[in-house]
Amino acid sequence: MVRIVTDSASDIPPEVAQDLQISIVPMYVRFGTEVYRDGADLKTDEFYRKLVASRTVPTTSAPKMKDFSEVYDRLAEETDEILSIHLSSSFSSAYEIALRASGRTKKECHVEVIDSRTAAMGLGLVAIAAAKQAQKGISLQQIVKTVKGATLRARVYVCFETLEYLRMGGRIGKAESLLGSPIKVHPIVGLEDGEIKPLGRERSRSKALERLCDLVSESANVSSLAVEQGAAPNEADRLHSRLTALYPGKPIYASMVGSAVAVHTGPRVVGVCVLGG
Amino acid sequence: MQEPRVEKGSGTAVYSGQDLREMFTAATSWLEKSVPDINALNVFPVPDGDCGTNMLLTMRSTLEEAYRAPDSDAGAVAQAMARGALMGARGNSGVILSQIFRGLAQGLEGHDSFSGKDFAAAFAKGSTVAYKALTRPVEGTILTVARDASTAGREASSKGDDLVPIMEATVAAARESVANTPTLLPILKQAGVVDAGGQGLYVLFEGALLHLKGDTETMQVRRPRVVPSNIPLVSKFPQLMTDKEEPFGYCTEFVLEGHKKLNADKIKKSLTNEGLCLIVVGDENLVHIHIHTFDPGRVLRQATTLGILHEIKIQNMDDQHKEYTEMVKAQAPPPEIATVAVVSGDGLGQVFRSLGVSAIVPGGQTMNPSTREMLQAVEAVPQDKVIILTNNKNVIPAARQVRGLTSKKVKVVPTETVPQGVSALLAFNYDADLKTNAAVMEDAVSAVKTIEVTRAVRPAKIGNLKILHRQAIGFVDGELKVAGDKPAQVLLDVLEGLGTEKSEIVTVYYGKATKRSEAQEVVEGIRQKHPNLEVELVYGGQPYYNYIASVE
Repeated sequence: MVRIVTDSASDIPPEVAQDLQISIVPMYVRFGTEVYRDGADLKTDEFYRKLVASRTVPTTSAPKMKDFSEVYDRLAEETDEILSIHLSSSFSSAYEIALRASGRTKKECHVEVIDSRTAAMGLGLVAIAAAKQAQKGISLQQIVKTVKGATLRARVYVCFETLEYLRMGGRIGKAESLLGSPIKVHPIVGLEDGEIKPLGRERSRSKALERLCDLVSESANVSSLAVEQGAAPNEADRLHSRLTALYPGKPIYASMVGSAVAVHTGPRVVGVCVLGG
Repeated sequence: MQEPRVEKGSGTAVYSGQDLREMFTAATSWLEKSVPDINALNVFPVPDGDCGTNMLLTMRSTLEEAYRAPDSDAGAVAQAMARGALMGARGNSGVILSQIFRGLAQGLEGHDSFSGKDFAAAFAKGSTVAYKALTRPVEGTILTVARDASTAGREASSKGDDLVPIMEATVAAARESVANTPTLLPILKQAGVVDAGGQGLYVLFEGALLHLKGDTETMQVRRPRVVPSNIPLVSKFPQLMTDKEEPFGYCTEFVLEGHKKLNADKIKKSLTNEGLCLIVVGDENLVHIHIHTFDPGRVLRQATTLGILHEIKIQNMDDQHKEYTEMVKAQAPPPEIATVAVVSGDGLGQVFRSLGVSAIVPGGQTMNPSTREMLQAVEAVPQDKVIILTNNKNVIPAARQVRGLTSKKVKVVPTETVPQGVSALLAFNYDADLKTNAAVMEDAVSAVKTIEVTRAVRPAKIGNLKILHRQAIGFVDGELKVAGDKPAQVLLDVLEGLGTEKSEIVTVYYGKATKRSEAQEVVEGIRQKHPNLEVELVYGGQPYYNYIASVE
């Protein structure tokens, strides 16, 4: 069976990853001189407490080559085909490092590495789709083809509390045009093919949630969905039930923004990730 | 890197001249990866073209000389580096960098090898020499970063002689100092960037540190990140009606090798009136001169009487500026549709600008702008599709006239109040076409209710309301609802009668003549009476209206 590997920027809920046998390589999060492995050393709720309390702005970095090698070598004991799907190369060097590690497994094993051009559960949904195929015994070649198509149709729409974290992390891109307003607005930002796009602003959170639903409806064919939140559980619940009503029968995953992504999104974000069919 | 030698008995590593070279070779290749990012940090007006490229070229010349020096003698390598830096220095930051190397060489003079402590002391010397080289040192530049970093290095060296922790402290302080540059230098704050030269110095030290720690993986697969500024960015929207631009002249740089002994101070004095950004640095044999002048010929002629010129570089800064603005444009293409809004009040102007309006025509109640004024704004924006937000009932007819007077495609979104204008602007969709946007924006207007509070200019009787001269009066969407003595109370009364069960947010914009303390009290009053509402107070600075409020 083809084994699926991704990084912790995929925000896949741990129980889903376990079920589908997806291996997750943790990213690093650094507060000043303290370094944590995302998800492993630092639990998400603990992270949010630190994010708000800490005076130093945290930073993130990609897993090291040996982190990937360890996972590939462990899996190579059980399989000879691995598909490793990673956080967009426009945000991180995770893909590049995974690519370097892919040619160096101790045992003979084919490791295919894919740049997802997306992040968070956008990446998560792609990895989940791949894992489901793998469990059905579909060939690596076929899964790669599906995944490459899926990365182009993955969309992430996020309502932010503030864009300052995205700016400080140097990843704001064109959404810079939404920065800096004397009146309170909730900026809405999209992620498409590795690029961050400004989509608009709303004055209230409830309008912002409506806007997120509208954006989902622009996707022609919805095959799976995920609602993500960072320290905004009630709003995520509201969004989840709205989407359940709009897309009955579709899987809607509930996920929490992990610390590696949250360093750049800041507190109180709600988002929806869509995989088109 | 190779393991540094360990002196017998002391246990502390010492470094050779070869180590010094290798450290800065690694630092330079780290800098090279960052050159495009650093170039992009340049601010208008461009003092010297491409800061990142200049620093890289300066470093290359520094290293070329370094590899010509006798092998292991650290003092001699540092001396050679200083010479190479001076000969190859380009741009403001490059010249200052060369002075840092000059000080470093002075500090390492006579040292066969050096320890962490020696390096920290020499770098501190470098910072001092760099400050001295400038007649008017500017804070918030590479100078500040050099000083802060060397101070931290010195402090760390008092705790131990090992170079790695000293460099760690140096790099951390440099980073913090770079982030702080916009606080010190207003032009950086306006542009929303950190100082390019400071960033370059930080990257150099970071590269040196990575090399010292032997972290080759990081150096191969990653690249330096630009330090984000530590102050929040104010809105970065291009001001479309810009002032006339002053020409910049020529950036002129050369190295002067004296026929006889040179006196840098004397040369500096003689060139002071020739231009701006004058820097004259060097010793009695070689002097590096940098100046922005309208007449490079005169400067060169004057210098040739003193000696031979090398490394002459003259660049037209107006061309550079043009390239730079084009680069900026290419980076952030503006939306295809421009929006022009009629607004009065500096605070409200700021609100509209921050929400992405392309141009503002001053005006509103009692001072309606003319068709011509709006036409000028429409013609001034680069886009050929334009939406006009009128924000006042009386402005709508004049705005509609604009459509017949221009070849551009113009849609008028007939907003009657400022809050309607804000709502419409928020609904702007970056991806939609002109027609769709005009429709979506017009729709958005119905989602907001506007309250306006002003004073009556004459007594009147409207419906059941009897209004006295100068009495405070309150409107809802243009309809008179309440009269009273105090504007603050009128605002509260109007809100009371509005029925806010389904509303979420009240935004109160207080006018030019209204005290902030009074406005704060009103807002507190609203919060107490309507705990379900989110209430926001914003300075509008509008004339005539004490308060404008939106309820949505």
